[in-house]
Amino acid sequence: MTHPFRTSTATLALSLGILGFVPAALAETVVDFTVAEYSSKTGPYFQEVANAFQAENPDIRINIEVVPWDTLLQRLTTDVAGGSAPDISIIGTRWLLDFASQGVAEPIDGYLTPEFKDTFIDTFMAPGVIDGKTMGLPVAASARAMMINMDLYDQAGATPPTTWDELYEASKKIAALPETFAFGLQGKEIETDAYFYYALWTHGGDILKPDGTSGLDSPEALEAATLYKKMIDEGLTQPSPTNYTREDVFNLFKQGKVGTIFTFPMLIPQIKAEAPNLKYRIMPFPEGKAKATYGVTDTLMMFADSDAKEAAWKFIEFAYKDEWREKFDMGEGFLPVTKNVAALPHFTEDPDVAGFAAGLPYAKFAPTIANWEEIADVTVRTLQRIYLGQVSPEEGLKAAAAEINKIRGL
Amino acid sequence: MANRIQKAVPLMMILPGLLLAITIIGYPIIDLAWTSMQDVSRFGKLTGFNGGANYAEVFADPLFWGSLWRTGIWTVAVVGGTLVISMPVAMILNDDFYGRGLARVIIMLPWAISLTMTAVVWRWALNGRAGLLNATLMNAGIIDQPIEWLATANTAFVVEILVGILVSIPFTTTILLGGLSSMPQDAYEAAVVDGASGWDQFRHITLPLMKPFINIAIVLNVIYVFNSLPIIWVMTEGGPANGTDILVTYLYKLAFRFGQLGKAAAISLVMFLVLLAFTMLYVALVSRNDRDDAAPEEEVDA
Repeated sequence: MTHPFRTSTATLALSLGILGFVPAALAETVVDFTVAEYSSKTGPYFQEVANAFQAENPDIRINIEVVPWDTLLQRLTTDVAGGSAPDISIIGTRWLLDFASQGVAEPIDGYLTPEFKDTFIDTFMAPGVIDGKTMGLPVAASARAMMINMDLYDQAGATPPTTWDELYEASKKIAALPETFAFGLQGKEIETDAYFYYALWTHGGDILKPDGTSGLDSPEALEAATLYKKMIDEGLTQPSPTNYTREDVFNLFKQGKVGTIFTFPMLIPQIKAEAPNLKYRIMPFPEGKAKATYGVTDTLMMFADSDAKEAAWKFIEFAYKDEWREKFDMGEGFLPVTKNVAALPHFTEDPDVAGFAAGLPYAKFAPTIANWEEIADVTVRTLQRIYLGQVSPEEGLKAAAAEINKIRGL
Repeated sequence: MANRIQKAVPLMMILPGLLLAITIIGYPIIDLAWTSMQDVSRFGKLTGFNGGANYAEVFADPLFWGSLWRTGIWTVAVVGGTLVISMPVAMILNDDFYGRGLARVIIMLPWAISLTMTAVVWRWALNGRAGLLNATLMNAGIIDQPIEWLATANTAFVVEILVGILVSIPFTTTILLGGLSSMPQDAYEAAVVDGASGWDQFRHITLPLMKPFINIAIVLNVIYVFNSLPIIWVMTEGGPANGTDILVTYLYKLAFRFGQLGKAAAISLVMFLVLLAFTMLYVALVSRNDRDDAAPEEEVDA
């Protein structure tokens, strides 16, 4: 027995489906855009940009995929290896060299008009230039700074420090308060090394020496590590830093339990939402022999084997319009990468933002070198062993420098 | 001739399945072996044959040997601990008591939650300052200072093993419970008549009869636990200072953080061979024992 009715409906539905689908698919250019998740606002924000863009350009569809930072590199690695890379993606600028040297990243000089290029702040364009070719656009930037809990400083009668010696003295006073830790020290997971670079740079050292070898065996690095270790041993940090990720340290600060932390601007919106009564102040990093801060940028990169480069670029130009950049930087708490947004009152007059932006003239960036993640891992492992007391700072740093030089082939 | 065809029939019947299995399992392994002998770019492009260079690098790496050693401890401790706890749990759940259905559900429930979720929950619970575990212990007066469970490799690894045991219990209990409920009751009745104590019954009836189930629980658990990434990865990422790295977490770092896919492929192949060797050895050992045990019975039957 047959079911003429059912068969014909099915055919009808099928043909409608085909008819409905095919013309749209033919006319549409799909741009796959992998977005790194900065916060819960990131996904909805980019979707909004994409919707606005699609309203103006009905022939292009932006397919947004939000990926958390922790898995982003793995995700892109497998996508590229599997031949299904997106057309554009947000990446950490520190990965850009690997992408560029493997021919995965598309140089964008050919697309970049002088007017468009001029919208960016030059400092942030520079890290995206490799061998004279622009491999990506800055999409987010932050600089780091010191944040102190004013209530705790007042209670302890400590003065906000501008040098490491002052920080050490102030920490001694704050540590004497009950249930309070003076200095929040990160010792676990992502950016444990950055927490050390702050001290390394301000002591006058650097990640790499001028000859390209590791700077971890320099006297400045030893001084910085010894200071951290001394603060742990004297109970000036929270106990067992190796159990504290960046977020754990920040949480202690939000709870009002810690006097001083090193942080990024993105913490400010969090504090305003979660601990509105916390009295804090943004200050430059304590100085040893030098002024320094860590400038971090993320890059918007185009993939070399994208088949929708024109459409992707059209979207990029759209997304960098002032109104969108303003919304993005304000929402996520980033420092602006474009001149027009940087000139807005919020970014020049707000003391919090200004406190972070103040460091930009002397900001240091992570070196664009191959195998950066592996080098960072060696550094983190060594720091953890020093913090745990498994190795002396001198011995540990020397071994780490040797290992890093080996990784770099020097 | 007819006999030979008859013998070939079962083989032919499993042949399609066998071929499918060989294709699905074999292809990735061959691909892996091939990759492990190449220079591989960070995005998986093979850039040239390098013979055993990846292996030489792996075997010269102290972190590899450290991870291998910890993988052994991890596997033995988790599988052993799981069995020791699951056996009495299964026996209790096999007894008839009021609310047994509910008790069984409660034991099985953790199975419904992904490993990653469980690990995340534990990571929070173990947090030194804000964690529930420290709060509970301090309220109960057991400790007076919060303990930073994950701060040093030793405590972190022990805690991870305990969590590993916890998440392996439901699966193991299910296997053992299946075995227990299929056991003949008359043997126990006869033993009681002969005056056997509870321990005697367990030692001389339950254990021997449960052997096949215990064996399958051991083999499957070893394979799962040996390869298990989420618990350690979520709680410590193998840290601090690589002190809780097992092979699979180390491999993950190499492959997806450092982009050393060739070296990572070599380690995966080593892991596969270790597991293969274990499984074959274990199965051979078990089936030899079974033959020894079974021999007298066959004579009786004859």
